Amino acid sequence: MKKTLLGLCVAFSLNAVAEQDYAFGVTLKGYKGEATSSVSYGGQIARHVLHDSLKKAVAKGDVELMLSYLSSKDEGRKILSPVSKTGFPVKQTTVDALSKGKNLLSSAYDGVITGWPGNPTGQELLEQLVALAGATEDGYDPVNGYDYIQLVSKFTMGAVFYNRAVNHYLEEKLEAGKYPNDKPYKNKKNVSYTGKEHVWDEAFGYFGAPAHGLSLTPKEVVQITKQKPAALVKADANGDGVVDLKSEMAFAHAYYAASVDASGGTDYFHTIMKAFVEGRKVITAANGKKLTSEQLSKVKAYAATIAQAWQQVIAEAAYKYAGSVYSDLEKIAIIEESNGDMDKAYRNYVKHWGELKGFALALEAAGRDLGSTQANLDRLIGFSPVLFGNTQVLAKDGDGGFIQGKAADMQAYKLNMIKTQNLLAKAFDLKAKLNDRTAGMQAVLEQIEEAGKSAEND
Amino acid sequence: MLDAFILSLWEEFGLWEELAQAGSSLFALDKRVSLVYLVSAFAFAAIVLWVRYGKAGLQRSYQYFSWRTWWHPSARTDYGLWLANRLLLALLIPKTLAKSLWVSWLFFFWQEQGLTSLELGWSDTAVVLCFTLCYFLLDDFSRFFVHWCMHKIPFLWAFHQVHHSARVLTPFTVFRTHPVEGVIFFLRSLLVQSLIISLFLVMFPHQVSLMQIFGVLITTFIFNLLGANLRHSGVALSYGNKIEKWFISPAQHQVHHSCAKHHYDRNFGVVLAVWDRLFGSFCYGDDKQILQYGTNQPIDRLGPWGQWIMPFKSLLSILNVVHNVVHIASWMINKIPVNKPVFFRIIKKVYPMNEQNSVDETSSRKQK
Repeated sequence: MKKTLLGLCVAFSLNAVAEQDYAFGVTLKGYKGEATSSVSYGGQIARHVLHDSLKKAVAKGDVELMLSYLSSKDEGRKILSPVSKTGFPVKQTTVDALSKGKNLLSSAYDGVITGWPGNPTGQELLEQLVALAGATEDGYDPVNGYDYIQLVSKFTMGAVFYNRAVNHYLEEKLEAGKYPNDKPYKNKKNVSYTGKEHVWDEAFGYFGAPAHGLSLTPKEVVQITKQKPAALVKADANGDGVVDLKSEMAFAHAYYAASVDASGGTDYFHTIMKAFVEGRKVITAANGKKLTSEQLSKVKAYAATIAQAWQQVIAEAAYKYAGSVYSDLEKIAIIEESNGDMDKAYRNYVKHWGELKGFALALEAAGRDLGSTQANLDRLIGFSPVLFGNTQVLAKDGDGGFIQGKAADMQAYKLNMIKTQNLLAKAFDLKAKLNDRTAGMQAVLEQIEEAGKSAEND
Repeated sequence: MLDAFILSLWEEFGLWEELAQAGSSLFALDKRVSLVYLVSAFAFAAIVLWVRYGKAGLQRSYQYFSWRTWWHPSARTDYGLWLANRLLLALLIPKTLAKSLWVSWLFFFWQEQGLTSLELGWSDTAVVLCFTLCYFLLDDFSRFFVHWCMHKIPFLWAFHQVHHSARVLTPFTVFRTHPVEGVIFFLRSLLVQSLIISLFLVMFPHQVSLMQIFGVLITTFIFNLLGANLRHSGVALSYGNKIEKWFISPAQHQVHHSCAKHHYDRNFGVVLAVWDRLFGSFCYGDDKQILQYGTNQPIDRLGPWGQWIMPFKSLLSILNVVHNVVHIASWMINKIPVNKPVFFRIIKKVYPMNEQNSVDETSSRKQK
């Protein structure tokens, strides 16, 4: 009797502790297939792999290779990243093994991006960046201060993953009447999932978290993305010895969320992950019936949580790199004084600027109304970093070439980075604020009451 | 069409929201007229006066609620100005004029000038204490000094007279302010806060924070809790000479509002009395003082609109006087054949007509 009770207690406590994986059974009425899971987001993981591979292709300066991952839907494309490493084997080697006929470009944001000369749409900008990267040897343009590896990668994550998830799946496709839960997704035959289930799953796929993400610490998630051999055991949830990219790998913003959490003590990764799991639980609990308005509003509340935290993650990343750009400018000033070798410091400056700009542009790429924040971010960061000779890219000419003009002093550009950090912290209510070069300014400003509103006389 | 314009103006600048926020001041602990402070001020007065004078003292504290005071035409003007200023200042002071831009610029400027982290190894608590104390001192002094200037400079007094035109004092007299003065207060706080925050951030990076209670600066909280609202009220409460040397009591501030000549330009301070002692404007208060308030000028009887307009009329007459003085000065410059100081030469440049006149005069004399 005692043993039974003890056993029950242990079982109960284990059950209470064990975190829910992103795994859900079939609820679709009338489904006659053999699948036991209704979860499917292979197309999204394929795009994550396309993005990682595109980043590798940009670094090679091979425009054909870049286009094969950006816009073609050809069969037989090899995965350039992530690939198996010693101590961290990966299951899939081709994009087709995840999903066939997918590309990045057609899923990219088609609204205007104001932060790039010429006001291109998100899709046009991706094409332009790849074409420009193709004109370089290794994705690096020192003349205009562009690191296309970073620009392409960071912007793609925003324009494709963040945009599709937040702007489409968690917003318009979630509306009542669209993709109903009492019918198969798009009324397709032989699918095991309902409309709402799949819409939610696709959004989750774009986040890029492993299905067992809730059982992982942020640090472990970071280690998994970096394919550290020690993290294999954590990644390999089913214990088959290889990492299945479909469900066991961490990509894109899931990695950045975890990375910010690991350094900044925040909880973005688990907040988003938990909201995805909880939202999916509500949909699953509808058991193949239409969602009631109460259920739908619950799901929408989870969607709002995800959208907000996701935006914060991107803004936190931009914040961090604004701090890096500031530090790079400090280093450049020191090297200038001592007439030292500038190449490495300038390369880092351009790299970090590319990351900052890429994330800032990503914030614009999901149809969110950022108001004056967007205009201010564009102005503060500019179309390029401030270059030697105090010039900056100001516009594009008729042939698509960049026009440089007089800008603020290179060192004064540091002030823009301080303002950028303050703006991001305030506009997106940031918590981690890594690489803070403002010495904690925003927090003090928030403490000081807004003066001048009620004109109190003493 | 006008209707549509006004409506769009209201919506564009969020004026409904402004009015709602004005109302919310009654519940916000960072505002002096919060209900908590309105009640605490009475409790403070009642207890102190009861301890000092027994039942008679307690009865004196009831003056705080006097309906005649609260619904006096002067008090009604206070309420009108409170709301009207709130709306106008929403238009005058752009909300996007972010303090953070100034602080960022100064923060960067000090570093460019070579100021760096002091690295004294102070604990966070020590930095917070030091910052809070410096902030309080600078804030209190700058309020004192701006107030002092308001009384001493005719151009500023033209606007500050609005506050002094109150014939009765209620806690809402704190809002009896001309909008121009409101803008000056805004600029003062912008300057002081930007300076002190930027300097401390450079000297003590990542350690700067204010000591707060319920989200309010600790000194503001204590000041408001211990009867700040009595300053503008019918209840005279002195702290006694020993304390009044250091802290301005409600009675001392009421002396500041007195229209008796010997009370003119006394007690400009907000919290600390030391500034008044340094500037020679200090005066003790008394529980038993009976004072008359106002300026004894026509403005005392004007409503909110008149309060807005009258300062500009005063300004015009000041300018008229200045104009006349300059005229006389320039006439004298032309009469007195000495080496003229730069100031006079400037006046000559501004008023070249006089030179012309004098030339004409000379030529006309010659003709004669």
